[in-house]
Amino acid sequence: MAAITFDGVTKIFAGKPAVDSLSLHIDDGEFMVLVGPSGCGKTTALRMLAGLEEITSGQLLIGDQVVNNVLPKDRDVAMVFQNYALYPHMSVAQNMGFALKIRGESKATIAAKVRDAAEILRLSDYLDRRPRALSGGQRQRVAMGRAIVRSPQAFLMDEPLSNLDAKLRVEMRLEIARIQRLLGVATLYVTHDQVEAMTMGDRVAVMRDGQLQQVARPQDLYDRPANDFVAGFIGSPPMNLLRAHVARAGDVTLSIAGQSVTLPAALASLYELPAGGEVTFGIRPEDIVVGQSGLRARVERCEALGAETLVHLSVNGEGASQHLVAKAGPRTTIAPGDELGIAFALEHAHFFDLTSGATLRVGS
Amino acid sequence: MKARRRVSAGRIALFATMLAIAVAMLYPFWVMITDSLHTQSQFISGSGFSLGSWRQLSAALPVGRQVLNSTLICTVSIFAILAVGLPAGFAFAKLRFRASSLVFLGVVSAMMVPLQAIVMPEFVNITRIGLTSGYFGAVLVYAALGTPFSIFLFTTYFRGVPDELVEAGIVDGLGYVGALWRLVVPIAVPAIATVTVLQFIQIWDDLLVGLLFIQNTADRPITVGLAALASGRTTSIPQLMAGSFVSALPAMLVYLGFQRYLVKGLTMGIDR
Repeated sequence: MAAITFDGVTKIFAGKPAVDSLSLHIDDGEFMVLVGPSGCGKTTALRMLAGLEEITSGQLLIGDQVVNNVLPKDRDVAMVFQNYALYPHMSVAQNMGFALKIRGESKATIAAKVRDAAEILRLSDYLDRRPRALSGGQRQRVAMGRAIVRSPQAFLMDEPLSNLDAKLRVEMRLEIARIQRLLGVATLYVTHDQVEAMTMGDRVAVMRDGQLQQVARPQDLYDRPANDFVAGFIGSPPMNLLRAHVARAGDVTLSIAGQSVTLPAALASLYELPAGGEVTFGIRPEDIVVGQSGLRARVERCEALGAETLVHLSVNGEGASQHLVAKAGPRTTIAPGDELGIAFALEHAHFFDLTSGATLRVGS
Repeated sequence: MKARRRVSAGRIALFATMLAIAVAMLYPFWVMITDSLHTQSQFISGSGFSLGSWRQLSAALPVGRQVLNSTLICTVSIFAILAVGLPAGFAFAKLRFRASSLVFLGVVSAMMVPLQAIVMPEFVNITRIGLTSGYFGAVLVYAALGTPFSIFLFTTYFRGVPDELVEAGIVDGLGYVGALWRLVVPIAVPAIATVTVLQFIQIWDDLLVGLLFIQNTADRPITVGLAALASGRTTSIPQLMAGSFVSALPAMLVYLGFQRYLVKGLTMGIDR
């Protein structure tokens, strides 16, 4: 088992950087989730670590060893693929023991390790079956088993749950997290699903256009996003990002679509707000109180989710109208077309630079 | 009810057509078998039954030896075709290298060149390197002719194999060669069967290469033997039919043995 370090790693495809100077350290035993939208470079980063893609520049270390030019088979990492990539002509036991067989381990050792892994994964009854005779969840577990039996330095997982249905995905999410903690092997888990990122990772690294945006513990990522991209990507529904004008005349006042909100002095002091300038004001749906007072808004649409209702609102006034989503109770009487007031829990508000998107929080 | 009757009538027409085609296809075999069971005089008179022509065939031709020669030539040629076609198809389908599309195009365009167009230069080359006495010259020519098709077919098939399967093997500790032989070849049975059957039939039935490139009489395949039988001053039709049947049988058996893979092998890749 070992730590993993990306040190300024870059990968260029056809003249364009797919991964741009990625620097990321994964501690031994840590579960790191790499998350981002399609094409952000997260899978390329994982494939470079597996040795399936060459590194254009930078250094990649597993433990203390630079592995840039080390063949995949000599890196001692195990990978779980999106489509499982089980060997269709082999049984479950043969699939799981294949890497050990190549390594030249004895039949007895292979059998014992496969048996142990099958017990952890609850696959003992399926060892003689071929992959085509297994369900999606079982195949996923075999793919995990293939990784486990090797006792590798690191686990690499490339969206391993994306082919499962929603219910099974929740089960397997817990299962993978349980096994990873049981084995204590450094894990790099790639996903585009922010729920997986938030629930599974010890830390989460958010990528966009090949660049690392932020690395933090899930709750820190949620509470203190480094920029408007992270703020909009993490959380479901995502944070509302509204264009606001800042006025300083004693109090700091925000103007959103021509309507004013006064910020408490304590909050305003936490951010470097440009007087007379514009910022991106971020507020999460659960931090909006829908009622009678506050900004005037019109209800565009309601989505009843059972436990809660998502209320889509538009704030109109001077300039362009702005749209936002708020959360209301499960059996709300709010209906499309209603005119109502919205208030913000401003202690949870965020402010970002309008151009760069970076947080304006002092000291960030 | 009407619709059902129409469907039934359609099916009957379809079966009748298929039956007619099957009869037309099998009729030559029927003629071959029945005509071989006559002597020459019985064949002319159109009545009687005899195994004489079969006895005469084995006296006139070293049938067993020539069938063995054909089998050896086919087997070695097909091994050579597979030995080149499998790795080449894998490389074109799974590896990224400079100008691979251009090289692939070159290989595929070689399929368009007919044997007759290159047979004389080939003959000169093979004679110059002194390979016309045994089987080896003919095997080389057959392998060269069959390889472009096999590369094309294997490339198409391997493009349908997920890259992740090969990558999983590589992360598990295999090299590309290991991934080909241990992971890809075991699931490429339909493609291998298709190449084997089509090449077997083509090589087994070929006369020209055997005639030109195998100078030693004892090493000649069955097709050359039959041609010699047919070109005599007096040709015994029943004897020729018996020889033709012996010659056709192995190709039929190989086809029947592998035919369940053939459709899969020939249509692979068209859904991608």
